[in-house]
Amino acid sequence: MAAETAKQTSSLRHLRSAARRLFAQVSIYIAFALLLAIAEIASPAFLSGSNISNMLQQVAPLGIVVIGQTLVIVVRGLDLSVGSVMATAAVAATAFNGLDSDVFPIIGVSLLIGLGTGLANGLLITKRSVPPFLATLAMWIVLEGCRYAYNGGAPSGNVPAFFRVIGAGSFHGIPYNILIMAAIAAVFVVILHVSTFGRRVFLVGGNPVMARLVGIRVDRVVIASYVLSGLLAATAGLVLSGFVGLVDNFVGRGFELDSIVAAVLGGVALSGGRGTILGALVGAAILVAITNAVLLLGLPIQFQLIIKGIVIVIAAALHVRTAAAP
Amino acid sequence: MKGFASILPGSTIGWRATRSAILPVIVLIALLLIIGVSVSDRFGTARNLWNVYEQSTGLALVSLGQTLVILTGGIDLSVGSMISLLSELISGSIDGDASLVLPVLVGVIMLGALLGAINGACIVLLRVHPLIVTLGTGATLQGLTLLYSSHPPGKVPDGFDEIAYGRLFDIPMGASVAVLLVLLTALFLRYAPFGRYIFAVGGDESAARLMGLPLDRVIVFAYGFSGFCCALTAIFLVARFGVGQPYAGYNFTLGSITPVVIGGTLLSGGKGGVLGTLLGVYLLGLLYNVLNYVGIPTDWQLLVQGLVVILAVSIYVQKRKVI
Repeated sequence: MAAETAKQTSSLRHLRSAARRLFAQVSIYIAFALLLAIAEIASPAFLSGSNISNMLQQVAPLGIVVIGQTLVIVVRGLDLSVGSVMATAAVAATAFNGLDSDVFPIIGVSLLIGLGTGLANGLLITKRSVPPFLATLAMWIVLEGCRYAYNGGAPSGNVPAFFRVIGAGSFHGIPYNILIMAAIAAVFVVILHVSTFGRRVFLVGGNPVMARLVGIRVDRVVIASYVLSGLLAATAGLVLSGFVGLVDNFVGRGFELDSIVAAVLGGVALSGGRGTILGALVGAAILVAITNAVLLLGLPIQFQLIIKGIVIVIAAALHVRTAAAP
Repeated sequence: MKGFASILPGSTIGWRATRSAILPVIVLIALLLIIGVSVSDRFGTARNLWNVYEQSTGLALVSLGQTLVILTGGIDLSVGSMISLLSELISGSIDGDASLVLPVLVGVIMLGALLGAINGACIVLLRVHPLIVTLGTGATLQGLTLLYSSHPPGKVPDGFDEIAYGRLFDIPMGASVAVLLVLLTALFLRYAPFGRYIFAVGGDESAARLMGLPLDRVIVFAYGFSGFCCALTAIFLVARFGVGQPYAGYNFTLGSITPVVIGGTLLSGGKGGVLGTLLGVYLLGLLYNVLNYVGIPTDWQLLVQGLVVILAVSIYVQKRKVI
């Protein structure tokens, strides 16, 4: 009798913990839906076609960066250099003649910048065991230094018209840049959640020692994650340079922290080993939606920062509660 | 076990450990001094060196608080916004009235400590990673700063700049007060039980918990102390520039972490100390100064700085691994 009761409570506990886990996974989507509903009630213009298209356009560069950031955070890292990589890629885009024939060289150079930065980050972190926070911060400063050394703080030249179309144009109301983001996201969902490499990434993030013991080359997985993050950041830099049109040395400023926040909002654990691309993208969408809603509600622009700050802490706290529960 | 060992004398906080940890910084500083003296006659003058000493004060104060936070295994990314907010409050509420100076400064210092303690309380109560909490409070505080004033508000009475520029027998006084505070903190960390708890918490949090140390209070204290240091930095900056500014502290957010790490404190916590941080601050100050004397164009200086930081941190970590 007693054994039966124990069995019952244990199965009940299993059920409850399963429910908790499910809630932890879907809570971000519920929160997003709630946010949209509240914003729509407060300002009916929020979910109008043009505003949705507007928000999608804004979310695309951040979304591309967040995908890379997610990979890096899953392997217990952080990439603070993404904003600087974006700006450097954007400055590289203005370094040519601004003709459409330069598109391929520009993409090549930008991706090389992203690749080089990611490689440097990864090597510093794995081979010299520099903390990721520091290694990527140093690369941020080095890249900023490179930009100043190159243009003295005053970039000149235009991005080719092609990038303007990619960054700011739309196809029947659907911005091109969100299509690019969606394509990249689809590829990375496969890479992270389906491929062998993805499994290795999660294993390395969840338990590096165990990963090494089962024969995974941990260093290579970590370096690859940073390289992918660098490549994605460079891509985002090009997309963003097309969106803003006017490129200066600080075009990606703030993206490093926003991308980390978006990933954490989306359920990517800073302790590593846990997270999904889709969740992180919803995190990015939440950040953009908050900014947009504050503007539409006619609140002073300063409230963007205040509300964003409070939401970040509360959302992260909710995640911890649901994730830490047994 | 690690936590237990780290509160025993002579392990990670003894003078011997401190000495070996700060040796590379001292070597680098010596190297910079040699380079400086050999490229320019004016570099080695008392006037120039006192200037470097004086200009390092702001960074020294923020990094002092940041060191304690990092020693507990955390990080404080709200320092920049906190400094900006407090600097605006100082010049905005004094607004040229000399009789308000003392009450406002006392109030700002208390407010700084309180805001820092709120950071700590959020971390302890919500169990959210310090990076996220302080990023969030940092954004909130920056919003409040801009709400209070988006341009430099008010003014300070004549003589307020003495805090930053006052000298006694040619020795900068403001800077010396900061150094004194660093030394006092070093003694506190070394000899006061509560100071040792800071190392224990950063060394191994669960061990510290099992030993019954007042974990939560230690963390709240560290962030409160960081807020207190931010208030002092804000006072120094207002004295230096004559007015508070909405982005006065912007560069300190990440800038305050560099000297801590160069000074041998591990970002993972539990190892390091404030003396190393102070040397890290002087290393960076001298680096700026030497780069100017060497004649490296301003546009190239940032690149050189970044490379030096990479060099410094990769030397360190290698050393730690061997130990």
